[in-house]
Amino acid sequence: MLARSVLSQSARCAASQARGYATLKEVELRLKSIKNIEKITKTMKIVASTRLSKAQKAKAAAKMIDVADATFYDVAKTKDVPEPLENPKHLTIAITSDKGLCGSIHSQLAKAVKRNLESHPDTDVVAIGDKIKMQLLRSYPDNIKLAFNGIGKDAPTFYESSLITAKILQELNAKQYSKITIFFNDPISSLSFVPSTKPIYNSETIQTSPGYNIFEIDPEGKLPTDLFEYSLTSQVLSAMAQGYAAEISARRTAMDNASKNAGDMINRYSILYNRTRQAVITNELVDIITGASSLD
Amino acid sequence: MLSRTIATARTLPRSINLISKRTYVEAVENALKLQFSLPHETLYSGVKVNQVNLPAQSGKMGILANHVPTIEQLSPGVVEILEENSNTAKKYFISGGFATVQPNSVLSITAAEAFPLESFSPEHIRTLLTEAKGKLADSDAVVAAEAAITVEVLEQLEAATK
Repeated sequence: MLARSVLSQSARCAASQARGYATLKEVELRLKSIKNIEKITKTMKIVASTRLSKAQKAKAAAKMIDVADATFYDVAKTKDVPEPLENPKHLTIAITSDKGLCGSIHSQLAKAVKRNLESHPDTDVVAIGDKIKMQLLRSYPDNIKLAFNGIGKDAPTFYESSLITAKILQELNAKQYSKITIFFNDPISSLSFVPSTKPIYNSETIQTSPGYNIFEIDPEGKLPTDLFEYSLTSQVLSAMAQGYAAEISARRTAMDNASKNAGDMINRYSILYNRTRQAVITNELVDIITGASSLD
Repeated sequence: MLSRTIATARTLPRSINLISKRTYVEAVENALKLQFSLPHETLYSGVKVNQVNLPAQSGKMGILANHVPTIEQLSPGVVEILEENSNTAKKYFISGGFATVQPNSVLSITAAEAFPLESFSPEHIRTLLTEAKGKLADSDAVVAAEAAITVEVLEQLEAATK
């Protein structure tokens, strides 16, 4: 009778241990792995912080090129050119990078592109960076005409963007598009970003701008074409530089949060580990004392 | 007769307006503002200068304040900047780009690359030039085209550094 009750009690004890408490070994392993994760996220945060100043410098320099272009289009009133009515073709250049672990930055841009694709389903898309390509391939595989990867390892250079635009001009005959839009992440502060767009005008649109005659331009030359190609390159570059800066700062924030969360978990698990260890010691002591007293 | 007087009466206030505007503009900004930016660096940002000489594709040109608005494509060559309160011109060699004169006397130059002329070494230019000239007759059309561009830029550079 006694033996049976002791047996059932110990069985209940073992069951509750399996249900509620992990064994000491399990807690220890978990704690170790979280500590390793914290180390990795902390390092990634430091790497992102050191890259941030360079990225922001690149962003500021690239933005100045935009300003020169934008004032010209403003004065020439290129924005007011009406779109041709019969089948206007649109091109979207979406800029992200290959690397993740930076919060929702890539998926937010993908959402913006998808929203645009919903209203204009026959838009052609150039995907720069693997992240946007993967997200768009799921729902709009036919719209992607060109994709580039190997982006975002370092601050973008003019050489990179000219290779990209050369490919776009060559493969897609970019002049056929009446409207070209770049989608990129605009870092509005060091902590936040917003997916934004900017237009690029092709040579025909530049020539038909209402304010084009304000400028004294040699009518014989091929200036509009060259200007279109040059501004496409520099606009892609500045969008890439801004996207890069946004990504780096987003990664820093994401890794900061991850390190904080890992720190919280480490605290919780060390308390649990200590408690479990104490419980094990107490149990053993109880066993020893019971054994010793039964000998008396 | 009547209609003509009405017409002159109508144009009069407008011309007065124009004159007043112009004097106002001249009083405020009589200098050329230079915006010289590269993709990776901003060299001048709204700095007031006296004159800028550009290597435009249509020929060399000097830009002063109140220049007619224009856009010029730039060839590889030297951009000379005469700053205010300075007698010597600053010279940059650029690899080509665009210059835009805005209606409000702002000159924006964008170039892919630009370096001060002093930073080039003449001997190095000469060795690179002979190297590029050797490739001009290459059987590969791409290599030959690249060599032709290199020769064009280096010849300009050689002439500028002399």
